[in-house]
Amino acid sequence: MRSNSTLVAVALGVLLLAGVPMLLSQGLVNAAIQMLIAALFASAYNVLCGQAGMLSFGHAAYFGIGAFGTVHAMNALGGTGLLPTPLMPLAGAVSGLAIGAVAGWFATKRTGTYFAMITLAIAELLHALAPHLKGLFGGEAGVSAMRMPAMGLNFGSTTQVYYLTLAWVLASLALLYFYTVTPAGRLALGLRENGHRLRFLGYHVHGLSVLVFSISAMFSGIAGALQVINNEAANYVVFDASLSASVVLNTYIGGVKVFLGPALGASLMTFFGYAVSDLTQSWLLYQGILFVLVMMFMPEGLAGLLGLAAREQRRLGLARFAPVLLACVAASVLLAAGTTFVVELLQRMFSQDYRALASANAAAPWPPITLLGHAWLPAAAVTWLVPAGLLAGGGVLLLAVRRRLQPAQAESEPAAHAPAPLVQSPGGAA
Amino acid sequence: MDTLLVSLLNGIIYGLVLFMVSAGLTLIFGMMGVLNFAHASFYMLGAYFAFALQGVLGFWGALALSPLLVGLVGAVVERFFLRRVHRYGHAHELLLTFGLSFIIAELVKLFFGNFPVNYRIPASLDFAAFRLGSSDYPAYRLLMGGVAVAMFVLIYLLLTRTRVGIVVRSAIYRPRMAEALGHNVPLVFMGVFGVGAALAGLAGAVAGAFYTTNPNMALELGVMVFVVVVVGGLGSLEGAMLASLLIGLITSLAVAVDATLADALALVGARAWAEEVGGLLTLKVSSLAATLPFALMLLILLVRPSGLLGEKA
Amino acid sequence: MNADPILTLRGVRKAFGATEIIRGVDLDLQPQERHALIGPNGAGKSTVFHLVSGHYTPSAGEIALAGRRIEGRGPQAINRMGLARSFQITNIFPGLTVFENLRLAVMRPRGLQYCLWKRIGRDPAIRRETERLLEQVRLQHRAATLAGEMSYSEQRSLEIAMTLASDPKVILLDEPMAGMSREETAYTSDLIRTVTRGRALLIVEHDMQVVFALSDRISVLVYGQVIATGTPSEIRANPAVKEAYLGEEVAA
Repeated sequence: MRSNSTLVAVALGVLLLAGVPMLLSQGLVNAAIQMLIAALFASAYNVLCGQAGMLSFGHAAYFGIGAFGTVHAMNALGGTGLLPTPLMPLAGAVSGLAIGAVAGWFATKRTGTYFAMITLAIAELLHALAPHLKGLFGGEAGVSAMRMPAMGLNFGSTTQVYYLTLAWVLASLALLYFYTVTPAGRLALGLRENGHRLRFLGYHVHGLSVLVFSISAMFSGIAGALQVINNEAANYVVFDASLSASVVLNTYIGGVKVFLGPALGASLMTFFGYAVSDLTQSWLLYQGILFVLVMMFMPEGLAGLLGLAAREQRRLGLARFAPVLLACVAASVLLAAGTTFVVELLQRMFSQDYRALASANAAAPWPPITLLGHAWLPAAAVTWLVPAGLLAGGGVLLLAVRRRLQPAQAESEPAAHAPAPLVQSPGGAA
Repeated sequence: MDTLLVSLLNGIIYGLVLFMVSAGLTLIFGMMGVLNFAHASFYMLGAYFAFALQGVLGFWGALALSPLLVGLVGAVVERFFLRRVHRYGHAHELLLTFGLSFIIAELVKLFFGNFPVNYRIPASLDFAAFRLGSSDYPAYRLLMGGVAVAMFVLIYLLLTRTRVGIVVRSAIYRPRMAEALGHNVPLVFMGVFGVGAALAGLAGAVAGAFYTTNPNMALELGVMVFVVVVVGGLGSLEGAMLASLLIGLITSLAVAVDATLADALALVGARAWAEEVGGLLTLKVSSLAATLPFALMLLILLVRPSGLLGEKA
Repeated sequence: MNADPILTLRGVRKAFGATEIIRGVDLDLQPQERHALIGPNGAGKSTVFHLVSGHYTPSAGEIALAGRRIEGRGPQAINRMGLARSFQITNIFPGLTVFENLRLAVMRPRGLQYCLWKRIGRDPAIRRETERLLEQVRLQHRAATLAGEMSYSEQRSLEIAMTLASDPKVILLDEPMAGMSREETAYTSDLIRTVTRGRALLIVEHDMQVVFALSDRISVLVYGQVIATGTPSEIRANPAVKEAYLGEEVAA
């Protein structure tokens, strides 16, 4: 029964995604494309990280390799491209797979922290080398290409690119999900849990690790390819540490134990980044704070939180659960508001413009800062009491909710690990 | 010849700066098994705190106070963040420090701006130590080297000759046993973490005035520091010194070399072919200088993963 | 007992730095024999297991499985040659269900390591085999439980089941009954007797009742050397053994 409702939910989701270009503005469709690509990249990353337990800090390398492989494929044969546009992401898949297999062969010779350091070194090596290999990576300006018409479509509009991206992301996610129920996919979980024991069961752990790494790199390459098809350009800044960092953050914020967790985290974070990038300069700070909060208090991520909410609702019944849920939402809003207020205030206080203004006028050393259409005086107590109040209110609510849920959480924990792959942890008996 | 000497000296000094930061990192890893991604952030904080305090306390005052502040930050990080996630395992701790390094970098950008700040050597120290051929060798570089060497000697003596050192070493090696013997191991952890951070902060305060002080310095140096501790051996102080000097020298000397792989292949008469192939083969070693440490790190990780002087993994 | 031994150790030594833990061990395991390895704590019994199963490489000496030299080979190669072992410290997959744990062990002999093209749930043979093993160790009711959340003795049973999954010719069991009650011990002892029919077993155990009831022969390991090998009654009567290890227990 549960799998039926999951299927319905998935079907609804796909339908919704298919309807996006008709429901949203072009700008938002563009954002949706970015969200889909980020979701795929995070899901590919999770194959290695959450499922097989191998923490990679340089995964942008394979995204980037996929991107450059695709852009060169698009430019091949005098610009007509090696493949028709709808099949172009295959170039990303192949290049990601090839480099991923080689890099993975070296990286998986060691485990744990050493493995993480190797992946970092490989990514940094590429990042340092790329500017010098202008033939491959195009120098400062990068390499550009053009989407060629195919199958009667000219791929000129955002909508067509959106559907191309959607098709590939859905197909890739389906394949990645299928992977988790194959023998190799289950073995990868064993790698995470106890790679040592796998040896004594007769498995070639290194070979298995290389396979998993290659799969992860292949799908990362597809994500990179989709990015290039969208932007019609590839630049070596893609090998930057920031892309590797953001995929780590997104994946864990979403939750690694659930198949769609990383996709959820990545799309949400991408969306917020897009939505608030005009409003604030501190978006990355918020993302970092959220990540640290997740790592410290909600290690199962947002997906885990949703799962917890579902369980609590079943346990308490809707009548008793609704006020708890409202309190939680209210607490989150208050805490977020308080934090954002302080950060934005500080950001403006320490900005160059403000400091110039402050030092220019000796009589009024702390001129007011405009926030939310209101002028706040940094010297006034009110300015600081508002966020303090918001934070305190949020904190109190949170503590109250916690106390309410505490005794019950302990007893409901064992029941929490029932299987149902998409919505819950893919660790149960098939 | 003079350029070679200058390159050598620069390499050694840069290596010593690297050592100042990696010493704390390798000790912390040896003790807690966690590679602290935020360690280079402490370096950055040291530079920025010193910059901020310079106006109030003068150069030397800022230099003295800044590491203490950074040490405090380090202790807070260990006590309130790392300790909480200790039960989730090393990978989790690593990720947490990763997130913290991210936050620290963003906070620095928030308070000080997304561009380099004007943290300079005071005029009183801006003189030449001696002449090497046609150029003056800045005395401040020697000061940096001196601080690093003093630090190495101090830590080494502290760890091997004092009672505190013995307790710390036992906590590093056998934390549960040390605790069973009555030592306050959590306090030791916090202390070592704080001291490690303070050392990185001192390095930042000293070196930030010479090299640039900008929000990216944590990332730039941080990656190098990881290379150093992996090459030298995680947990080995002597290894960190050896690896730092090695990497400093390689980077510094490579920058002066204008030869390419094609030139080397010329020895076997394959120059024309190499130049036609292009790409990597025609890249000057000087351009590749930045990539050599990573190549070395990869080599070590594959051939001798415990590092040059580390214990067998 | 005239057949060639299926497992032989000749002059096996193992040193860690300056400390020699195994100081010259000779041992023969006959093809269908149940052989117990007993000795005081710290004698090196687990180390012998580590050496035989490929976790450690001997500092000196030879180990042969069915006539082929295996010292220095890796654990996966040795397992594929037909030797499986269990661990003294439970070595399972704690975050996976019991069923999943066993299934991982069952998959390997069927060559499914790199299989990417079919759903594991759709393989009836695998499922039947996994369920059979579950029933054998009486863990069917725990199939959907996370392995890390079971009781210690249940985990030991899982440990045994995983060892049996690859249908090995030689089984090494390292204190399989540790932490079990009287009833569980009796059941597991019978289970071991049943599943090792037709196979060779080398077992480390401290429960002397089990050892004397189950084994065809016993070797006594003290300070890294085998001081005696023989049938249970021979060992019981051996004065060196009595002095070194058995003491009062045998008299009881």
